[in-house]
Amino acid sequence: MAAPLVLVVLAAVTVRAALYRSSLAVFIAERVEVASPLNSWKRVVEGLALLDLGVSPYSGAVFHETPLIIYLFHFLIEYAELVFMITDVLTAVALYLAIQDFNKVVFKKQKLLIELDKYAPDVAELIQTPMEMHYIPLKVALFYLLNPYTVMSCVAKSTCAINNSVIAFFILATIKGNTVKKKRVLYDFLLSLEIAFLSAVFLALATYQSLYPLTLFAPALLYLLQRQFIPIKLKSKSFWLYTMQYASLYVCSLVVIICLSFFLLNSWDFIPSVYGFILSVPDLTPNIGLFWYFFAEMFEHFSLFFVCVFQINVFFYTIPLAIKLKEHPVFFMFVQLAIISIFKSYPTVGDVALYMAFLPVWSHLYRFLRNIFILSCVLIFCSFLFPVLWHLWIYAGSANSNFYYAITLTFNIGQILLISDYFYAFLRREYYLTHGLHLTRQDGTEAMLVLK
Amino acid sequence: VCTSRFWFNYRHVANTLSVYRSVKRLGIPDSHIVLMLADDMACNPRNPKPATVFSHKNMELNVYGDDVEVDYRSYEVTVENFLRVLTGRIPPSTPRSKRLLSDDRSNILIYMTGHGGNGFLKFQDSEEITNVELADAFEQMWQKRRYNELLFIIDTCQGASMYERFYSPNIIALASSQVGEDSLSHQPDLGIGVHLMDRYTFYVLEFLEEIHPASQTNMNDLFQVCPKSLCVSTPGHRTDLFQRDPQNVLITDFFGSVRKVEITTEALSLDKDVAGSESKFPDEELATEPLKYAEQLPVAQIIHQKPKQKDWHPPGGFILGLWALIIMVFFKTYGIKHMKHVF
Repeated sequence: MAAPLVLVVLAAVTVRAALYRSSLAVFIAERVEVASPLNSWKRVVEGLALLDLGVSPYSGAVFHETPLIIYLFHFLIEYAELVFMITDVLTAVALYLAIQDFNKVVFKKQKLLIELDKYAPDVAELIQTPMEMHYIPLKVALFYLLNPYTVMSCVAKSTCAINNSVIAFFILATIKGNTVKKKRVLYDFLLSLEIAFLSAVFLALATYQSLYPLTLFAPALLYLLQRQFIPIKLKSKSFWLYTMQYASLYVCSLVVIICLSFFLLNSWDFIPSVYGFILSVPDLTPNIGLFWYFFAEMFEHFSLFFVCVFQINVFFYTIPLAIKLKEHPVFFMFVQLAIISIFKSYPTVGDVALYMAFLPVWSHLYRFLRNIFILSCVLIFCSFLFPVLWHLWIYAGSANSNFYYAITLTFNIGQILLISDYFYAFLRREYYLTHGLHLTRQDGTEAMLVLK
Repeated sequence: VCTSRFWFNYRHVANTLSVYRSVKRLGIPDSHIVLMLADDMACNPRNPKPATVFSHKNMELNVYGDDVEVDYRSYEVTVENFLRVLTGRIPPSTPRSKRLLSDDRSNILIYMTGHGGNGFLKFQDSEEITNVELADAFEQMWQKRRYNELLFIIDTCQGASMYERFYSPNIIALASSQVGEDSLSHQPDLGIGVHLMDRYTFYVLEFLEEIHPASQTNMNDLFQVCPKSLCVSTPGHRTDLFQRDPQNVLITDFFGSVRKVEITTEALSLDKDVAGSESKFPDEELATEPLKYAEQLPVAQIIHQKPKQKDWHPPGGFILGLWALIIMVFFKTYGIKHMKHVF
């Protein structure tokens, strides 16, 4: 499988290099859908220039990147294009390897459940075969690398690519956790510590970069518990022990990373500039998210309340989803990633591209998706309408912000409906697997599954 | 300075341009004149005689032409620009023609016309300058030694209110009307359709037509120009801040560029060695700092670049800590025994 992957990588790199050299690069770099105040390249350059002039880059509300990014780009700023292309390639390779391992896990689990006779007799057509699962990792890498959103994000040199790669490495570390070579260890929990360590480190790094991957703690924990065959009961001692270990690993690595960042500039300035900025949303530049319009028209004394409401909205779906999807943590991770990229305070199309890369993993759900045609049309049309209405609003002056916000709303509704459609299809397939394909009601007529 | 725009304020532009012409005629070059006009008359679509601005009825005198050098035109005539010109606080990129390069030996004439009220003057129909701001600007000029003597003439309604607040020395002020009175315009021209001049400026110009560079007319004559019978409004003046007697102040001190020239028929040899002449008067020579003009044009700043700051480098402790952490994580996940393979 390496050769097609290499071909895909080469194609992606060519496309990006070609776009870098063309005149479109400047046009794309300044689009608000691609570059938000958190991750635009102009601000990175500005922050580094301020640093060269002897001023802290966090003074003044220009620079909102973490100190590790300062360190990374201080030496690599001349090779920025190369860095971003390599980052994209690394993300794709990480996703490829992760999905490869995930497929093995899925297949093993499926085999186990078939042997245990947990499936109904007539669901043979729903079972995934290795044949069709063979090309899924390649498709995932393809979806990520050649997605127009990713390409635009890379050409704009938005640091969203770095965030995506950290999350991808985190997913790889989590999924690969069980295949670390088992060494001779004395105690069981030491082994589990080894497994979870890299995953916790990458999760801490992802949370440090942008606050929202905090919510990915739950699916990662559920996955690792599943791998350890620890049942998820609230009274189980091993469950709490493992949770405590993972949580403490995660928190400790986060604290270590933050303290290390303090030593870069010898100040804690970066905390209000990065996390305070993400949480309190002071910059209301239009983007593809939902925050800017609301807060632009809101009265001052309500804004604190609504900021809290909007931010809780991002974190809120974790618990119900954890309860519902505790058997399927990787799907939970996908849904959580989607929720983060829809409801975060400054979303860009790079975030959308990350969760869209996972769609081939659930291509077997295709027959249960109800609205996929309409939703894909909505998403494609909205993507094209964004620059049109921006031009009408800002340059031609014949539209106003309501038009652009309408497209934002439609785009986000499209994304939400996409996720809920996949959610419905997933649950429906699970139900069919255990209860058989032809459901009958009590009086013998054919029944329909409804998501309540 | 003409502070109005739009076609019906034709007379203000004509006022300013007429004063400009007189001042040029009496010898002041363009490099010493800052002319601020909205400059929308000559090429206005409503002008029946394009490229001209007339100041006398029957179109006798065209005060616009090839040799009119407008320094601040159209939307550049703002209160901010006016005050910056006066006080000299101008961005380094401003060209010389837009600067008032005066020093402590310069006599300055300021002529302003437009629409005004009690204590303010309207600029371009969108902002105002108050008499307090103007007085403060003049005080700044005095403290920066930007003028020797200043003559301020204003032709607006209630113009005397503009000089009420001056408190800097060496200023004479003239206004076309008192507080509560309106200044009136002089003559409409039926061919062009607007009033061509204001009364006060018209009579001032008639007065100035008789001045030539050698004339000995003094300020008191200027104060008598345009009595109430001709002007309908009562012109006012203020001389209490002025140190000399207005009787002794020549009109050409302000309106013209008159230099004292001595013609000699002997040949003077300029000696390279000036030390000899200096030693004749040792007791008269005091060790004084050479006198120089105030720095108007910050040439040094423009020519010499600022030295480049030292580049920032991340502290060594940070780099050490970061890479130690990375190596620790690497070996924790992949096992210490791999170190054997590395070495």
